[in-house]
Amino acid sequence: MSHVVLVGRPNAGKSSLYNALTGGSAKVGNFPGITVDVLEAHLELTDGERMTVVDLPGVYSVEGHADPESDEGHARRYLDGLVTSKTPHLIAQVLDCTQLELGLRLTNELRRRGAPLVVLATQHDVLVSQGSELDAAALSAALGVEVLVLSVREPGVQQKLRVFLQDAQRKLELPGVGAIDPSKLAKQVLKPLANFAAAAAKARARTAQLDAVLLHPVFAPFFFVGLMTLLFASVFLVADPVTSFIDVIIRALSERIESALGPGMVTSLLVDGVLGGAGTVLAFLPQIVILTMAMEVIESSGYLSRGTFFVHRILKLAGLGGRSFVPLLTAHACAVPAIQSARIIRDPGQRLLTILVLPLMTCSARIPTYGLLITTFFSDRAPWFKGAMFVGLYFAGVFFGFVASVVLGRSMKRTAKPQPLVLEMPAYRRPQLKVVFRLGARAASRFVKEVGSVILIASVVLWALLTVPGPSSVEASHAAPPGSSARVQAMHGSLAAWVGRALEPITRPAGFDWRLNVGLIGSVGARELMVGTLGVIFGIEGDEDVAPLSAEIREARTASGAKAYGVPTALALMAFFIIACQCMSTLAAVRRETRSWRWPAFVFAYTYGAAWLLAVVVFQSARALGL
Amino acid sequence: MRTLATLSVGATAAVRGLHLAEREATWLRAVGLFEGVEVTPLRFAPLGGPMHLRTSTGAELAVDLELAQCVEVSS
Repeated sequence: MSHVVLVGRPNAGKSSLYNALTGGSAKVGNFPGITVDVLEAHLELTDGERMTVVDLPGVYSVEGHADPESDEGHARRYLDGLVTSKTPHLIAQVLDCTQLELGLRLTNELRRRGAPLVVLATQHDVLVSQGSELDAAALSAALGVEVLVLSVREPGVQQKLRVFLQDAQRKLELPGVGAIDPSKLAKQVLKPLANFAAAAAKARARTAQLDAVLLHPVFAPFFFVGLMTLLFASVFLVADPVTSFIDVIIRALSERIESALGPGMVTSLLVDGVLGGAGTVLAFLPQIVILTMAMEVIESSGYLSRGTFFVHRILKLAGLGGRSFVPLLTAHACAVPAIQSARIIRDPGQRLLTILVLPLMTCSARIPTYGLLITTFFSDRAPWFKGAMFVGLYFAGVFFGFVASVVLGRSMKRTAKPQPLVLEMPAYRRPQLKVVFRLGARAASRFVKEVGSVILIASVVLWALLTVPGPSSVEASHAAPPGSSARVQAMHGSLAAWVGRALEPITRPAGFDWRLNVGLIGSVGARELMVGTLGVIFGIEGDEDVAPLSAEIREARTASGAKAYGVPTALALMAFFIIACQCMSTLAAVRRETRSWRWPAFVFAYTYGAAWLLAVVVFQSARALGL
Repeated sequence: MRTLATLSVGATAAVRGLHLAEREATWLRAVGLFEGVEVTPLRFAPLGGPMHLRTSTGAELAVDLELAQCVEVSS
């Protein structure tokens, strides 16, 4: 069985075509370098034949030098591997009809490789809308290669592609020899349609008009900051009512369980452990879905390149470059894919620096903690204030990321001069709503699965650790707030409490007591566990009354009966969450991309160290200011 | 030598040479800035940021000014 390998320039439409062919869901963007990894799909064809389709990251050339750690390097390594392993393969060049001449330069190189080759000329609908069409027969004759003209949006495209590739796979025809002149050939095979002049002018006009506004020297920065503010504020303001609603359902469920089973260990496990822990986290589903969908709209529209154009100069000041922008922006959803997408950064020094500061961007896993802290300690404030606070937390992440890259960049040894920016600016495209909703649904199901597995298990384990007595449990249980029930006293004497208390000497300057410490320990694995953990602790502490978690935390008491937390604690906790890299998946991604244990260890150490320091400064200053 | 960086918005010139290390020059040619291609700057980002240009192949590129100074164009 041979491999069909999709090769093409970045943003030529390989991933859209791969999705059309496989019915899969490779991530598709409108920015050069959205596919940074090699994707493979095995297809069952008619007559029981099988085909392996491979989607490679985009390449501009298969001959010049490519840094092995970059996305192009990954693609080139795969291609070279096919030759050395002698795997029978068919190269299917994905050629954007609207960028024909540049695509044909790559075709020249692919023909020189001498492997079986076909050309898939995509975006033909866009070409037609620009007033031209492609003469496939003439192109095929000139190249000595079979050419299929298509648009991924046309009906029946999957069948058309499969039939064409199945046939080509059987034949494995070698390309014609002899160099072609890409410029001349492109002119020869592009036939103007009757409406050419008008259509071509119109096609350019739309992107030019949008660019005149979105790249305006004065207006553009405001637009960008405004767009981000709107996005983050809407995550909070739109989703907040839905979150409260889910919260109400969870509490109603808790009350049902309590009245059906009566007080006891099983009830406590279900109500405090399962619903209080995992259930509380689940309430943040809407925020995560909204954020994912909004990011997809921005990504597929073509705005990313414009953002890159604009922030390049600023990022350069911090030792980064324009190409760091996309990983930095996508890290606002999740740092893990963002770290992998840093492969689009061609400069090795900038790539490493970007990876090291990416975990400081505000990912969606911080939303539950921020949301909880804001509703707990600022509940009486106006919605705009809460929204602004939420947005402020996002910009704080950006600010500290900037500071970190300046500091780290200065101390890193540069072996070579940084590589300057060259980036394609694709035409704007209307995001496909179907894709946006599909990604939103996928984010939702992934989150629900995570809550149902990792977070559920962690919540139950934590509940157990808060039940099992620790060393010196009897004295410790007296540290429970006055008037506590036996169950609450037992929790204060539990193993988890003992560990949390052991950390108090370090965390007290930041205003964190053992309960928050247990949350922080829980969240070393994943940030969402903070809210889950607090849900369990304060669920137990709340005894039988089923109050919202925010109310339980507000009313929490110390051993002397005083209120345990105030605004300074909330601010310190936010400060800690802005910086600390509380995510094992992120550290694993850093390890994968840097191929060393040193850098993930460094990220863990520097973010926790800085997070603690900032939390202490914030707590002490807030107290001094009488907040 | 006239460089890409000195072109004004709307002016068109052809690329004459790339005064860069061979590796970089090869990559730049592959991206679309090769000898003979015509370039027209569309705008410059503020504060010495990159320039946005269109080439005769129909591509639009953002190019760092530092790099644009190494691209010789016809006068």
